[in-house]
Amino acid sequence: MTGLQPLVSVVDDDESVRESLPVFLAVCGFPVEAFASAEEFLASADLDRTRCLIVDIAMPGMTGPELGQELRRLRREIPIVYVTALRDESVRPRMLAHGAVDCLFKPFSETALLDAVATALRGR
Amino acid sequence: MESQQSGSAIGAPRGRGYRYNAIVEERRWAETLLAGERRLLEMIASGRSLPDVLDALCSFVEQAAPECNCGVYLIDWSGPCFRVGAAPSLPASYTEPVDGLPVRRDVAPCGVAASLKVQVIIEDIESDTRWSVYREHVLAHGLRAVCSTPVCSHDGRVLGTFCVYQRQPGKPSSRQHELIAQVTHIASIAIERAQEEAALIRSQALLAEGQRLSRTGTFWWRVATDEFEWSDECYRILAVDHSAPLTFALIDARVHPDDVNNVKARLAQARHDANDFEFECRLLLPDHAITFLRVVARARRDRGVLTEYIGAIQDVTERRVSEAALGKLRSELARVSRVTTLGALTASIAHEVNQPLAGIMTNAGTCLRMLDANPPDIAGARETARRTIRDGTRAADVIARLRALFTRHAPATETVDLNAATREVIALSRSEQQRAGVILRAELGDGLPAVTGDRVQLQQVIMNLLVNASESMSSVADRPRELVITTERDEGDHVRLTVKDRGTGFDAQATDSLFDAFYTTKTGGMGIGLSVSRSIIESHHGRIWAAPNDGPGATFAFSIPSVAATAADVV
Repeated sequence: MTGLQPLVSVVDDDESVRESLPVFLAVCGFPVEAFASAEEFLASADLDRTRCLIVDIAMPGMTGPELGQELRRLRREIPIVYVTALRDESVRPRMLAHGAVDCLFKPFSETALLDAVATALRGR
Repeated sequence: MESQQSGSAIGAPRGRGYRYNAIVEERRWAETLLAGERRLLEMIASGRSLPDVLDALCSFVEQAAPECNCGVYLIDWSGPCFRVGAAPSLPASYTEPVDGLPVRRDVAPCGVAASLKVQVIIEDIESDTRWSVYREHVLAHGLRAVCSTPVCSHDGRVLGTFCVYQRQPGKPSSRQHELIAQVTHIASIAIERAQEEAALIRSQALLAEGQRLSRTGTFWWRVATDEFEWSDECYRILAVDHSAPLTFALIDARVHPDDVNNVKARLAQARHDANDFEFECRLLLPDHAITFLRVVARARRDRGVLTEYIGAIQDVTERRVSEAALGKLRSELARVSRVTTLGALTASIAHEVNQPLAGIMTNAGTCLRMLDANPPDIAGARETARRTIRDGTRAADVIARLRALFTRHAPATETVDLNAATREVIALSRSEQQRAGVILRAELGDGLPAVTGDRVQLQQVIMNLLVNASESMSSVADRPRELVITTERDEGDHVRLTVKDRGTGFDAQATDSLFDAFYTTKTGGMGIGLSVSRSIIESHHGRIWAAPNDGPGATFAFSIPSVAATAADVV
């Protein structure tokens, strides 16, 4: 896996996020790829070089947490930052307990996002 | 009673002296019969017990005809068997075996008399072999002749037998026949009366038990004089000592202080209207217990004039308490489900709006960074700003969709009889109004023109006005909680509905904001009822307004065009 450029992958069914977030991260200097679903991401060749995964919790088909589970099953230790538009305070501690780097509520501040991505890329 | 020798006079002395004597004798005999009859009837009328009367009856016969012994045997139809009613001159050894003897033709002459409703005369028992056991029994007591006469009720039922025994063989004399006919009639009166009394006592006991079981008391109120009659259960329900006569003052003292004015108004209305009435109120008993009372009364008129009310009061405390518990549970459920629905709704709105907001914020950050770069990425910033605008539009679309979801559809237009619609609402809210102790008076105008609109929506408005009026009076205790709903023609071919209460009213300065959404004077209210009401009335091309009363309370009214006015508009 060494030699491959570390990648930030964004998985979200919401178009505005899928368009805005990669551009922002790219402007901030991170190589980024965006996917509309968990299935699309799992099938892509970018899976191997992803060093940080930003994934929406509630998605049609496979949800964010299910994707996290699937990656653990595949022994892909990719640091995950969950994002969600549903502000349920009980979700965040649950996600952190399952090993997430962070869990951000939309709309999130760019500082919170950049901190989370930096933590993920540092390998925690 | 005079002493008699009449029995010994039976015989036939001859000559003029006899004729005179016979006339005197006949007169004495007639007087004896009359006096005896009067005495027995007096005993019956004064309520002496049946055994006493029958004893006296037998003694009377035995005095008038000393050669006789008498017995009255009653029939217990559950057997059927004989019961000894009276036989004062016969020994227990004679009467005891007779008590419980079956009413059968093959047992004794009385059985024949009772079964066939005929008089049975046995001149000499010794020579009569029909009833062997009976014959031995009678002979053993020195009796030789028997005359058994059925005692029948006025409608022909056999009540018992009257039995006359003689110690010598022979038929009854004509005087004895006369005597037997007379006392048999008196015996039937005495027995029937005793049976009726027993039936009355049974039915009264049944009624009293029924009243106790159903916690219902009955009363009778003579309106002109305020006289009362109350059943025992009324005393129990009102916790009043039986010795005290029930008066209005006493009732007022028992009614819960908060309900006293209402009850007074109800009774005054009953006195005035002369209509059947029913209401509920609370009682505050001397032991501080609060009970719920339901009162129902029917007016009785004489030639159209109210004379009296006959009614019932029922202690409905248990029912009310469980209803209250149920109501509390139901409103708690409603609250929870409202909160849950509202919570779910809010979450879904937030979710829909947060998505484009996240885009907007991220884009704004991107935009700034692109502009701050060296050299600035103008094209990128422009593109990002365009995406920001698109996300903003998306958020606005979410709000627009929500508005569409919650905006009412155009009301259904049908011809509505406002009076009928109002009556339905009143019927729906009646139990609630009664529970709240509200006296609702409807004055629905005659010949009211129909209106065009949505019946259900108009009923929502009426219900809302009624509920508001009723709630505004919930804390009122110093005056009747009166609510008057009126319908009438309004100018310009309009129809007007007015709801007037005597509640806490509102500040005249608040008149303008009353119909605004989220304006409320109630602690538990959302303040949307009147605002929705206004939007409904306005969609009916009408007007809704409110004004404080001169006295306590407020008046709410709406006026909407009638069918005629609507048609004229179209033309």
